[in-house]
Amino acid sequence: MTPLCTIIPPYLLDRLAELGDENARRSLAADTALRAARATALRAAPLPAGRPGRTVADAGHSTRLPGRTVRTEGGPPTADPAVNRAYDGLGATLALLLEVYGRRSVDGEGLPLQATVHYGEEYDNAFWDGQRMVFGDGDQVVFRDFTGCVDVIGHELTHGVVQYSAALEYRGQSGALNESLADVFGSLVKQYALGQQAADADWLIGAGLLGPGVRGVALRSLKAPGTAYDDPRLGRDPQPASMDGYLETGSDQGGVHLNSGIPNRAFYLTAVELGGAAWERAGRIWYDAMTGGALRPDADFADFARTTVAAARSRFGEGPVVEAVAGAWKQVGVPAL
Amino acid sequence: MRIQVSRSGGFAGRTTAAELDTRARIDAPHVHALAREAVAGASRNRVYGVPDGYHYAITVDGRTVHCADPSLTESQRELVSLVLHQGVQLQD
Repeated sequence: MTPLCTIIPPYLLDRLAELGDENARRSLAADTALRAARATALRAAPLPAGRPGRTVADAGHSTRLPGRTVRTEGGPPTADPAVNRAYDGLGATLALLLEVYGRRSVDGEGLPLQATVHYGEEYDNAFWDGQRMVFGDGDQVVFRDFTGCVDVIGHELTHGVVQYSAALEYRGQSGALNESLADVFGSLVKQYALGQQAADADWLIGAGLLGPGVRGVALRSLKAPGTAYDDPRLGRDPQPASMDGYLETGSDQGGVHLNSGIPNRAFYLTAVELGGAAWERAGRIWYDAMTGGALRPDADFADFARTTVAAARSRFGEGPVVEAVAGAWKQVGVPAL
Repeated sequence: MRIQVSRSGGFAGRTTAAELDTRARIDAPHVHALAREAVAGASRNRVYGVPDGYHYAITVDGRTVHCADPSLTESQRELVSLVLHQGVQLQD
């Protein structure tokens, strides 16, 4: 239990620290120092017209949106951990977009970010409604509070980035690409917040989200799609890891959360092949592909694979980076050349 | 009256389905009214919802309608919750 701060998300450290775990308390202190240092560096850097504002509202267990505003940009933390986690998660996502990719908020123009927590009763979900992110509390049996994972928050906001960039249609392969981009940048938000290298990251989406008795580690794994959980109540993680297992289905809008495992793994393979921090080169290539204007809204996996190879070539030139991207797609069975 | 609800999509991409048979229920008249209200005017075609939103297929006596979060009517929301919580789980 030594290098806690590189594996466990801050909210979990908070929880462990509350429970009196000495390692967690130390890691939390280290983590806080890291974030403070980063925040200082950020303040020193010239910013394009300030940070986009964040607003968190509370639906009070109803399904009426947006709910009552409970925290705004720069305001003090509230007594409600879900509110503060949502606020911090929005901040972590804004930080990745701005500091790494130079993008001001999800639209690139400083769009204020809105979130609603405590949506519905024991609501087992989180979603992006086109304008705001909405979080349920989970039923506490199968799922815990959806604000608990910074990668889930990054995932939802990336749907916003996609909406303002590639605008991938949310069905079939283009929908699975939309989902995969949300998972990729959701995972990068977490890795960036924790200062992790590609080789050290857990590559999980929703680690800590599953209820106490559920057999599994998370909802999805970019590293090993199909292995995140296997539980009598929840069933087995259905994600394919390559085109051999591609699922043709009418449900889930054509399997958008299922087949996304294939491009997810292509990103993971690219990132570990390139080494270092995943947000630097692999993330930059995927970001360029998402925002470069070359993708059509109905793009399929092969279109996206070719777009990433072209993005790698234009940013890093012919050579090992292009080969790593093309090699990753080949391993998951998608033609990229 | 037999009411089936299938909920798919969502952040986890899981499908959950359940069926409620109202014959033995003392609140059957209320549930029947709720079900009629929930399906009246709803789409017969699949509707595409928001990213990670749930999609619901509600079948009342063999007639299926579709709706998606967050734009459910109050009666659809109440019916979906009732059937998924109190109905018999169906294998997908």
